[in-house]
Amino acid sequence: MRYHSIYKVPQGKLLKISLVYDSPTRTIHQVRITGDFFAYPEEAVELIEQALEHAIFERGHLKTKIETIIRTQKIQFIGVDPEGLIQAILNCKP
Amino acid sequence: MSEQWRLLLTGGNTAFVNMAVDKAILVAHSEGKVPPTVRFYSWVPPAISIGYFQSLLEEIDIEACKKLGVDYVRRITGGGAVFHEKELTYSIVIAESHPLIPKNILNSYERICNALIRGLQQLGIHGTYAPINDIVVDGKKISGNAQTRKMNTVLQHGTILLDVDVETMFSLLKVPNEKIKDKMITDVKQRVTSVHHVLGTHVGFDQIAAAMKQGFEEEFHITLVKGSLTSEEKKLTRKFEKECFSAFGWNHRR
Repeated sequence: MRYHSIYKVPQGKLLKISLVYDSPTRTIHQVRITGDFFAYPEEAVELIEQALEHAIFERGHLKTKIETIIRTQKIQFIGVDPEGLIQAILNCKP
Repeated sequence: MSEQWRLLLTGGNTAFVNMAVDKAILVAHSEGKVPPTVRFYSWVPPAISIGYFQSLLEEIDIEACKKLGVDYVRRITGGGAVFHEKELTYSIVIAESHPLIPKNILNSYERICNALIRGLQQLGIHGTYAPINDIVVDGKKISGNAQTRKMNTVLQHGTILLDVDVETMFSLLKVPNEKIKDKMITDVKQRVTSVHHVLGTHVGFDQIAAAMKQGFEEEFHITLVKGSLTSEEKKLTRKFEKECFSAFGWNHRR
């Protein structure tokens, strides 16, 4: 099933998430992160999307995955932060 | 003697050429082939640019754009959708390591926006920087800006609004329904202003460009020397226009 969310990051930009959820395994099959935020380097957001494929749809798990890739890829966000990204994804919860 | 940067006045071009020129300068400067460059330009025909992370189909009414002869293009910079019609657009390309450019990204937005604020002052307009990426006059947005950093080089581009046509803008953007559209139009009219609105008179592109040139020179203590694109930049522009900015795959990638 595909789910969507729109989340305004406090003091930040708008995040739009489109997510395909796999109910039997409680995992993310595919996620697309769009919005009017800034990320450096820009291409790293695609790496985050890839890293979240097959991730368990649970706050702690998403937090670890996202924070790890931000650290390893040295991603800088402006207008969004890891917590906002996690919240936007969790808002897709069916 | 102050440092000399290049000034480009490239006039009106399509959205695809405009974005290709900015990227061509970025590549050429990253290879040390051209000096730091400030460019002033406009969009013919009018166009909507969307931020790198935005979904084209979620943001833009493509049929409406076609009907009104408005181009659309995805930028290499983040940020939101912008309707480019009655405005001056600028870009600046400079090495990340240049001592005049703060390493911190937000600080560098502010520094470059300060050049525009000085330019607005030349016109008698008192603007202030509004983080993350706006300049406001009496709390209303007059300029939006977006920056990328690639190949150890900063590219920031943005707009100074000369006039605003909110109704046309919203006829080109996707909105959930007519009721929300009316509210959004009212809301944007309250939050956005323009040089024409502030001064109560029309100011031409050339006059604004001259003011902005002075703003950059004062802020960075440099001299902007009028130049032109190199043959290599022109070649890169054609390449990026064709392979990237006018390509379906790029514009529809999200």
